[in-house]
This record gives sequence, C-alpha cells and structure tokens, in this order.
Amino acid sequence: MKERAFITLTNGFKDKLFRLARRLLVSNEEAEDATQEILLKLWRNKSKMAQYKNVEAFAMTMTKNYCFDRLKAKQANNLKIVHSNYKDEQASLQRQVEAKDSLDWVGKIMDDLPEQQRMIVQLRDIEQYDNAEIAKMLELNETAVRVALSRGRKKIREELLKKHNYGVV
Amino acid sequence: MELSNIEKLLEKYFEGETTISEERELKVYFTRETVPSHLEKYKNLFQFFSEESTIMATQDLKLNTGRKFRYSWIGIAASVALIAGMFLLKPAPTPSEPVDTFEDPEIALQETKKILNMVSQLMNEGKQELVYLNEFENTTKELIK
Repeated sequence: MKERAFITLTNGFKDKLFRLARRLLVSNEEAEDATQEILLKLWRNKSKMAQYKNVEAFAMTMTKNYCFDRLKAKQANNLKIVHSNYKDEQASLQRQVEAKDSLDWVGKIMDDLPEQQRMIVQLRDIEQYDNAEIAKMLELNETAVRVALSRGRKKIREELLKKHNYGVV
Repeated sequence: MELSNIEKLLEKYFEGETTISEERELKVYFTRETVPSHLEKYKNLFQFFSEESTIMATQDLKLNTGRKFRYSWIGIAASVALIAGMFLLKPAPTPSEPVDTFEDPEIALQETKKILNMVSQLMNEGKQELVYLNEFENTTKELIK
C-alpha cells in the first residue's frame, strides 16, 4: 500500500481515534501522541492490513489497548497526567461563556465515569457507532455494551440533575 | 416533534434502547434554540455530544518511508569502503634487518667507539651543571639524621 492511500484511508477515522484517546487520557498532547503511535503501528503492519475485515474497528481496539497501557504505566509511576484542557471555573458575566462552562461540566462528568462506560458513551453518543460495532471494538458482548451504556447515561443524568438543581457536582 | 414523543424517546435513551436514528432525532431536537424548561437540563448534554464530535486531531501524520532505508545503505557502503581501504592501502611490510654500512668490521668498531666517546663526553659536561644539586642533599642530611 502506498503512503498516499494509507493516509486517505486513515484520515477517515483518525479524528475518531484522537477523540477516544482524548476521552481516556484527558490530555490533548497525550491523545495526539497516542493517535500518531497507533497510525504508525498500522503503517508498519500494512502488509497484514488486507487480512483485517474492518481496519477502523481494529484501529479503535488498538487505541483502547494503547490508552489502557498508558494509564497503567502512569499509575505504576505514581504520576498524574498533566493536562490543561479544563477551563478555568471562574464565574463569567457573559452568557455565552456560561453556556460553554456548562458544556464543560458535561465533559467533566463524563471523565468521572468508569473507563468502560466512558468509552461506550463516547463511541455511541459522540461517534454514533452501533452497539454491535462497539462490542467488537471493545471485545465485549452486545448486552454488556447496552447495560454499560444505560448505566453511563443514567449516571450522567444524575450528575446533571444535581448540577441543575443545586449547582454542585 | 411533539413533546410527549420526545419524553418517551428520552426515557428509552436512558435505558440504552434507542436506535442511532432516534438518538439523532434527539440531538436535532435539543440543539434547537428553544426547549421546554423542564427539559432544559438535557440541552447541555446533547449539545456537548454534537460539539465533541467536531474536535479534530491537529497533528498531521508523518510517515518516514524510504528515507530510513536510503541512509542505512549509506552506512553499509561506508563501512565496506573503510574495511576495504584498510586492507588495500596497507603498505608492504619493510624488511626490519639492518643493513651493514661498513665493509671492514675493524673500522666499524672504531667508528662506534668514537661515537660512544663523544656521547659520554657530552654527558659528563652536562653532569657538571648538576653539582649545585648537592646543596639540597646537604640540607636534608642536616634535618633527617
């Protein structure tokens, strides 16, 4: 496979890989690195690419595993991932900024979910994959995906209600 | 779409039983400007989802194809050239046996003696300058008995 063809192929789902990595690793930079790493790995194994039925799903699985490895390494090192994606929580006068803030709240709530639910909500509600695809990507069965999805969504709703009613999360 | 329908869809949504197209309907509904006040809280959620899906990776993929390969060949060529050079350019070993410069051994002995004499004479001349060093010897002898 030629470089050009590979890039056009991966451009179709590169952003999805990035967003999944970002959801798991939180930091933008870490997620960029993860995406590069996954794509380079794919490129190195390009001779085997024809054997994969669905390159995109395969890349998603790779991303998941890579991110888990990164998180585990961080835990072992007792290092926190340093990131600056969170906005400053200071009250703002402008309505627009406030709206942006409340969107960030959803992001924060989501980042507090257990990793599996977080990934599933990400893949389903943001990337709009169906449950069967998600099950394949995450190496789970479909029922488990549906249950985790429902739990994740309910948890988000619960936290959102708290925030909505009392202004705290 | 009517309100009751949306509420039903929301219920299904949280049970994880909506289809992708139903979810898309919800997304479209909640990204509108006006939403009834009791559903206001879900607006953020769906807006967040549709906003998140627009985030893009900024780095471009760099595949260093070919270049690595070319450089490795240069390295191999250089080492081959070096080794070949070492073998090819090594000068033929020179005979280490000294060549006689005098025909008659008697004359050779005399010449050698002459040179050795000259050397010892020069050395003695040099040694005379070292007499002053005896001074150091004297002082240490006084101190260390």
